Amino acid sequence: MNHYLIMCRSLTYAQRSKRLLEHFGLSSSIVKAPQCLTPAGCGYALSIYKFLDQAVLVLKNNGMLRGKVYKQNGDGDYEEMPV
Amino acid sequence: MIYFDNAATSLLKPQAVYKASMNAMKTMASPGRGAHEPAMRAAKELFDCRIAAAELFDVDDPENIVFTMNATHGLNIAIKSMVHKGSNVLVSGFEHNSVVRPLYAAEANVIVVGRELFNKQKVIDEFKENIKRADFAVCTHVSNAFGFILPIYEVAEICRENSVPLIVDASQSAGILDVNMKELGAEFIAMPGHKGLYGPQGTGILIAGNGAKPLMEGGSGSDSASKFMPEYLPDRLEAGTHNVCGIAGLRAGIEFVKHRGTKNIFEHEKKLSNIMVSNLKDSEYELFTGEPQGGVVSLRHKKYEPETIAETLAKAGICVRSGLHCAPLAHESAGTIESGTVRFSFSPFNTPQQVRYCCQQLRKIV
Repeated sequence: MNHYLIMCRSLTYAQRSKRLLEHFGLSSSIVKAPQCLTPAGCGYALSIYKFLDQAVLVLKNNGMLRGKVYKQNGDGDYEEMPV
Repeated sequence: MIYFDNAATSLLKPQAVYKASMNAMKTMASPGRGAHEPAMRAAKELFDCRIAAAELFDVDDPENIVFTMNATHGLNIAIKSMVHKGSNVLVSGFEHNSVVRPLYAAEANVIVVGRELFNKQKVIDEFKENIKRADFAVCTHVSNAFGFILPIYEVAEICRENSVPLIVDASQSAGILDVNMKELGAEFIAMPGHKGLYGPQGTGILIAGNGAKPLMEGGSGSDSASKFMPEYLPDRLEAGTHNVCGIAGLRAGIEFVKHRGTKNIFEHEKKLSNIMVSNLKDSEYELFTGEPQGGVVSLRHKKYEPETIAETLAKAGICVRSGLHCAPLAHESAGTIESGTVRFSFSPFNTPQQVRYCCQQLRKIV
């Protein structure tokens, strides 16, 4: 199963995003973002395993997609996804 | 004990408030500092409280709900985000020291308008007359000393029409009157958590605009590599570990207000005020009453000091507050700066019987 991270500027922003996705029946969880993806230090991300396209669309349509989206590869590395 | 000092702190809280605070103390850690369960539980509690507050005060974005220690903290953030030395600041004649002192400390030019007690029209007229001189305005929604409900929506409209930013002090109205951010269009609204929202002491909310400047810098759990506070809310204004236990109680208090309804709460408090006024109107006390007035009544006696009256009532188990109520400007406006007053402030947990008993005790004193 693929694992994706949608980067969020803050914990509250991540919570808002998660709430929005829930409203559309999409499941996600809030995680601390890996340091390698947060040059400014400590950040949060939405962790998603399914329906990434729908999640990205919902966030975009509501003006809430402000961070990058990454896919975690089998070797543990992260690859930026075009959104 | 009969507690009539709710304008300072609502001592009697809904049971859910005590439970929520205790539960948070036992199960919640620092929000935004870890991804483990106790930290995330705390983060959820904070977010749920932001959502509850955003719904109650009609705020679109819960990120604009900032947790503070009290209303004074919020007002200091708001005022210090806007004030400069020599700024012309329009204020009502009923502001608390939490507004007046930060303005004088910043050497602002404070323009006081609308000083006649219970004269709503005069507040409107004088704000209108002076608005063009103002860099920004600060106005309380309800006088903490006299319960005078100021025409805050009209003042907000005057400010909006003249592009003058407005800071609203909702210390005595949050949870009791309709405080609607969208309708007010204010730059900031500051309120305590521990009065009409029934949270514990040490809680407050600032509904903040994006131009807010931090009063304190420190850890925010975000952008930690930066030497500066994050640009975005609420992190920009929330340095250091949150008062999670307090905020959990505050959320329970807000839910109580939403369930009971501000209209019902106001009507109950107003009814108690009316009982007190009608009971004492032919007494030797000078009552400060008029319209529009909320659940706060002040009085004084020509012979007995307010402190003597309050002490005597305390001996009868009645808790009230005497003096200037940290609002000397309001007492100057009302002509009571020399004497101060005894203040009775009600809550949904007070009853008509308590008010009648208090009036009996007041009559005994004189």
